[in-house]
Amino acid sequence: MSDFVLLENLTLAYGKTIAVEALNLSINQGELITLLGPSGCGKTTTMRAIAGLMPLRGGKVWIDGQDVSRIPPSKRQVGLVFQSYALFPHLSVFENVAFGLRLRSEPNLKQAVMDGLEMVGLAEFADRHPTDLSGGQQQRVALARSVVMKPKVLLLDEPLSNLDARLRLDMRTELQRLQKDTGITMVFVTHDQSEALALADKIVLMRDGAIEQIGTPEQIYSAPVSGFAADFVGFETILPDGKGGGQAWRPGAVVLGQGPYNGTVRGASFAGERREYVLDSKIGVVKADVSVAHPAFEIGQTVDFDLPPETAVQLARVD
Amino acid sequence: MFENRAVGLALTLPAAIFAAALFLVPVGILLSEAFRIDGSWSIGAYIDFFSSARNRTVFLRTLKLGAFVAGVSAIVGYAAAFVIVSLPPTSRGRIFGLVTLPLMISPVARTYAWLVILGRTGFVNQILVNLGITDTPFRILFSETAVFIGLLQLFMPLMIISLVSAMENMPKDAVPAARILGANWFQVFWRVILALTREGLVIGGTLVFTGSMTAYITPAILGGSKVLMLETLLYQRVTVANDFVSASVIAMILIVMSFSANLLLKRIATARKSR
Ligand SMILES: Nc1ncnc2c1ncn2[C@@H]1O[C@H](COP(=O)(O)OP(=O)(O)OP(=O)(O)O)[C@@H](O)[C@H]1O
Ligand SMILES: [Mg+2]
Repeated sequence: MSDFVLLENLTLAYGKTIAVEALNLSINQGELITLLGPSGCGKTTTMRAIAGLMPLRGGKVWIDGQDVSRIPPSKRQVGLVFQSYALFPHLSVFENVAFGLRLRSEPNLKQAVMDGLEMVGLAEFADRHPTDLSGGQQQRVALARSVVMKPKVLLLDEPLSNLDARLRLDMRTELQRLQKDTGITMVFVTHDQSEALALADKIVLMRDGAIEQIGTPEQIYSAPVSGFAADFVGFETILPDGKGGGQAWRPGAVVLGQGPYNGTVRGASFAGERREYVLDSKIGVVKADVSVAHPAFEIGQTVDFDLPPETAVQLARVD
Repeated sequence: MFENRAVGLALTLPAAIFAAALFLVPVGILLSEAFRIDGSWSIGAYIDFFSSARNRTVFLRTLKLGAFVAGVSAIVGYAAAFVIVSLPPTSRGRIFGLVTLPLMISPVARTYAWLVILGRTGFVNQILVNLGITDTPFRILFSETAVFIGLLQLFMPLMIISLVSAMENMPKDAVPAARILGANWFQVFWRVILALTREGLVIGGTLVFTGSMTAYITPAILGGSKVLMLETLLYQRVTVANDFVSASVIAMILIVMSFSANLLLKRIATARKSR
């Protein structure tokens, strides 16, 4: 079903601060979309509005063909894994996961809770209290607590941010499997672009409370529409064409040691296989990385460089 | 902290002697007074005290008003505290200041203000008469209602302060999380807010109950001799009748009631928690 979740002209504010303005977004049933964007761009605020925790300053929220703008969060059948976990410290892990199921008198409560804990690998922690768990474990309890409710839409606010690299990958795979198995519609917030690229059917790139670009991971990664979008996916050297548009290069595409431009090395760092440089030049800041096989440049040294047109991405806007 | 305990002990000794000599000893003498009749130990004074119907009325009234004031403070306090903690920090500070303002005004001045408001020609009666609700002004002063109102205003800030600090310690998104999991406001209150603020409720409840029971000025001015409470009765026994035995009995009752209230509330709180 298309338009399973529909945000129509959504405007959200905290007092006088407008956090999200006139946002339009359609999410299909069974889709996993990620909201990607820098800190403070309005990702959490948008999620809260979908869940019904935030009064709408303007616009509408539709879920499953119903205008839920005035429906309280308890009746929306939306799940939300909070950035801060928001576990209940007075209840055991089991009771935390059982909280919502008890409220609706789930018949197979014990089984459902244990299945949920099994899924996140915490079955043996059922009797513990959340305060006795690590941050990553708490986050997984929060995930289980939402998933067992089988919501229409599952909102996840940076659910993997406190996990170590390995567990993060495991949970990411687990989430993808869960999503494919249950066909649940998911909105996943992150500011980690590699996570967004790996997980999403569709990426929504946000900037200052508005959508900058929507697209598949491939589109977002290789065809950014603006300087902001380009910078976000690693095209860090931007050359404006003077008419509003321009071109952008990834660090690996910048050629150092020869070429028509030159700049002064401001920063240099060793990154294993490659060395990364930041250069100040007449055309702006240039970020480059070159293989360690090349001779190293010193800070303060003037270096020639080239920006080959064939490796550039064309930008409609450079701002 | 100290290198040896003897030094620590030596340092606390003056304060301990001071407290013992000037507080514990006189209180001990006062309290034991009621247990001695004609040189032998007896609880006769207590039996005498409770065999008087008037004393029983005063005792029950004190208990009742203390419980009511604590109960109503808790209900109003939860609503107020919930609003206060959901405000942005700047207005939260302002409202909080307003709530605690009564604590900074002399209880005598505050109580006399109620005389003005609740009197026969006072503010409340003027409104009632002008609205045509009554022809003859109500007699609010020198009634239990007046004492109740006075005590409520006096002690509610303590409850609000306790509950606000308890709520500030709740995890930030616990309430929204419960809402999303399907809890209505009633369930959110019982299963989350109350559960997480029990300690604050016990502290606030004890302060308000004990405070209401032992307040003197408010019942003296707003209740007068018609609506005696234990504290005003105590004062009356000493100054009017020079009856130190009754005074001692009352003092003991007040102490026992304060401690029992605290124990009872604590018991209730921990019993519900361990479930
Ligand atoms: N309770 C609040 N009161 C006032 N302003 C707020 C509040 N919460 C968020 N904001 C503001 O709203 C904007 C969007 O915040 P939001 O929390 O949605 O950002 P975010 O994209 O989730 O950021 P992050 O990646 O850091 O979590 C920010 O400018 C923020 O300062
Ligand atoms: Mg956020």
